[in-house]
Amino acid sequence: MLRLTTTAGQPTTVGDVTVTPEARAFVVRLPFAGFVWNWPTAVHVQRAGEVQHLRIVDVSRVAQLGLLAATLLLVLLGRGVDARRKEKRDD
Amino acid sequence: MTETLPTFVERNTAQLPQLLDKILAAARPGAVFSEPVRSGDYTVITASEVTAGGGFGSGFGSGPAPAGRATGTGESGSASATQPSEAGGGGFGGGGGSHGRPVAVIVIGPDGVRVRPVVDVTKIGLAAVTTWLAMIAIFRRRMRRRRAARTA
Repeated sequence: MLRLTTTAGQPTTVGDVTVTPEARAFVVRLPFAGFVWNWPTAVHVQRAGEVQHLRIVDVSRVAQLGLLAATLLLVLLGRGVDARRKEKRDD
Repeated sequence: MTETLPTFVERNTAQLPQLLDKILAAARPGAVFSEPVRSGDYTVITASEVTAGGGFGSGFGSGPAPAGRATGTGESGSASATQPSEAGGGGFGGGGGSHGRPVAVIVIGPDGVRVRPVVDVTKIGLAAVTTWLAMIAIFRRRMRRRRAARTA
C-alpha cells in the first residue's frame, strides 16, 4: 500500500564520463486510488573507474521549509517571552 | 444492444487497475529525468519533481419503482405489466492530476559534471509573503493584548 523506492535512471555516457541519475519515489496505492511523489536525489558520475556522488538539493523546498521553521520558531519564542512576562507580572 | 448498469460498473471497475498503473507510472525515473539534450560540448539533463494522483468511485442502487408506474403483476394484461417493479440508478466517476517542477539541471561539459539548482522564485516569494503576513498578524495581536493588559 505504501512504498518508498530508490531507482536508478538511464545512464548517459558523454566521452569518458557516465552519468547515472537516481530518484526516490513514494507511492501510495489503494484499490480505488493512487498517489505518487517522485523526486531526484543524486547523480552518480563514473569517470576512469572512479565514482563520484553528487547530491541533488531542492533549493526551493529547502527555502520554503526554512521559512516555515523560522516562523514556527519565532511564534514559539514570542509565546515564551509572553509567558515569562505574565509570570513576572503575577509575582 | 443495451448494457445494464451493474454490467457497466463491473466492466469499468475491471479497468481500474490498468488506469491506476498509468497514473503510478510517474514513479519511474524516466518521469523525473529528461532525455539528454546536447548542445556543442555540453549535455544537459533536467531533473524534476513529479507528483501524480487519482481516484475512482462507483455506485448503484435499486428500490421499488415509484407508485403508479409499476405493477409488475401482469394481472391486468396491459402494457404496464411489462414495466419493472424495481427501479435503479448509479454512476461511475473518477479524477486525477499530476504536477511537475524542475528541481535541478545536470550539466555535463568539458569542465566536468555539475548539478545546478533551479530556484523557483515564485514559490519562495509566495512562502515569504505568507510568512511575513503571519508574523505581522501575530505581532499585532500581541501588541493588542499588551495594550489591553496595561489598561486593565
